[in-house]
Amino acid sequence: MENKQSSSPASFVDSTVVPGDVVLDLSSMTNQTIKLGGGLRQDCDAISATKAGTLRFSKPNKYWIESSQKRYVPCVEDTILGIVVDSKADNFLIDIKGPAMGFLPVLAFEGGTRRNIPKFEVGTLLYLRVVKANFGMNPELSCTDASGKAAEFGPLKDGYMFETSTGLSRKLLSSPACPVLEALGKKLSFEIAVGLNGRVWVNAASPDTIVVVANAIMNSECLSGAQQIIMVDHLLKNIQ
Amino acid sequence: MEEADEMVTPGEVLGKATDLKAGKGAYAASHNNTIYASLTGFRRIQAPPPASNDKRPTVEVTGHKAHGPVPEPGSVVIARVTKVMARTASADIMCVGPKSVREKFTGIIRQQDVRATEIDKVDMHLSFRSGDIVRAVVLSLGDARAYYLSTAKNELGVVSAESSAGATMVPISWTEMQCPLTGQIELRKVAKVVN
Repeated sequence: MENKQSSSPASFVDSTVVPGDVVLDLSSMTNQTIKLGGGLRQDCDAISATKAGTLRFSKPNKYWIESSQKRYVPCVEDTILGIVVDSKADNFLIDIKGPAMGFLPVLAFEGGTRRNIPKFEVGTLLYLRVVKANFGMNPELSCTDASGKAAEFGPLKDGYMFETSTGLSRKLLSSPACPVLEALGKKLSFEIAVGLNGRVWVNAASPDTIVVVANAIMNSECLSGAQQIIMVDHLLKNIQ
Repeated sequence: MEEADEMVTPGEVLGKATDLKAGKGAYAASHNNTIYASLTGFRRIQAPPPASNDKRPTVEVTGHKAHGPVPEPGSVVIARVTKVMARTASADIMCVGPKSVREKFTGIIRQQDVRATEIDKVDMHLSFRSGDIVRAVVLSLGDARAYYLSTAKNELGVVSAESSAGATMVPISWTEMQCPLTGQIELRKVAKVVN
C-alpha cells in the first residue's frame, strides 16, 4: 500500500517530502515550542512542507527542509559571492543569483568613509555577508563582519569562479571538512572561497591546479565520501 | 446656470477677466487679462453670489469623468503599500478623505515620516509590508513621481493587513498585529482605532 499517513514526527524526519505533505500534527504535541525553519508553513494545527527536500530535525525543537537548488534565497548572516552589476550614489548593485539584486552600501567596508569609497568595476567578484534579507525587499549586503572588521570580505583577485548548486556549497562548508577538499588539500596547495549562493572561487599558483580543483569539486556533487577520494586520486594521477 | 454647454480643452479662451471670474478648472492669465481653461470638460457659468461686491459671474470647467478628488497637502488619504525598500515605502493612493480617486496617484512614505519618535531607528520592514492598507496624511506634493505621505500620528498607520498565512490580522498594540489562524505576531506601525 502507499505510505502510511502517520503524523508522529519521527516518521518524516530525514525522509524526502514534497510540497503539500503534512509533516507534523500540532494537536498531538501540546505544551511544546517548536521552531520552524525554511520550507515549512503552519496552517492552524498542521505543519506542511512548501519545498521538496529532506525534513531535518535538530534538538531540541528545530525543524527545517533541506534541499539543493540552483537559485539562491537570501538569508541573514550567509556568506556569499556576488558580482558587481552597477554602482549608484549610495549602493553597489550586486548580482547574488537570487530573486532580486543585492544592495551593498558604499560605506559598508572597514574604515569606510565618504572620502575613500572603493571603485569596483562592473564584473568584480566580491565575498560578502548578507545583513538584511526580507521578503519583497532587496537584500542588504556588507563587506565587514558584525563587529565592523574586514575579516576576509571584499574583492577576490585572480583565480577562477564557477557555479554550483546550493547543496554542494553547504557540503563544502560543512565541518568536519568535506572529503574532496581534504583529499585535494593533501596533494595541492590552493585558495578557495565558497559562497552559499552556489558560487565557488579557486585560486592557485598554476592554472593546471585551478582546473583540477574546479573539476574535482564539480564532480563530487553526487558522490559519497569514499567515492570522492577515489575520484580525486584518479584526477591527480592524470596530471602527475 | 446654462445647460448643454460646449466642451472645452486646456488652453481654450473662456472669456475676459473683466467679465468673468475664474472658478474650478479655469485660471486668469495676468499678462492679457483673459480666462483660460486648465482642464477638459464642460464650460459652466455660475451667477455671482448676491452678497459679494464682485458682480462678475464665475466660469468653471466641470463634468468630465476624470475629475475625481485630488490629494492636497493636509488631507488624510487611504493608500495601499506597493513596495517597501530600505528607507522608503511606496503606496498607491486609493481614497482622499471619504471619496475614492478616479486616477492613479502614487505616494512615498519616508523613513523619517513613519512615526514621531526615534525616527532614525525606524525599520521599514517592521512598519509596513507590501499589500497593507494605511491611513496617511499628505505632507506635500513631493516630486514629479509621488506625493510625500506621513504616518507620524497615533491615528495614522496600518489599518488593515494580511498575515503570511493569508488571514486579516487583528491589531494588538501600536506596533503589533496578530494572525487569528496561526497566532503569529507581525510587527507593523498600527493606526489607533478611534471610536
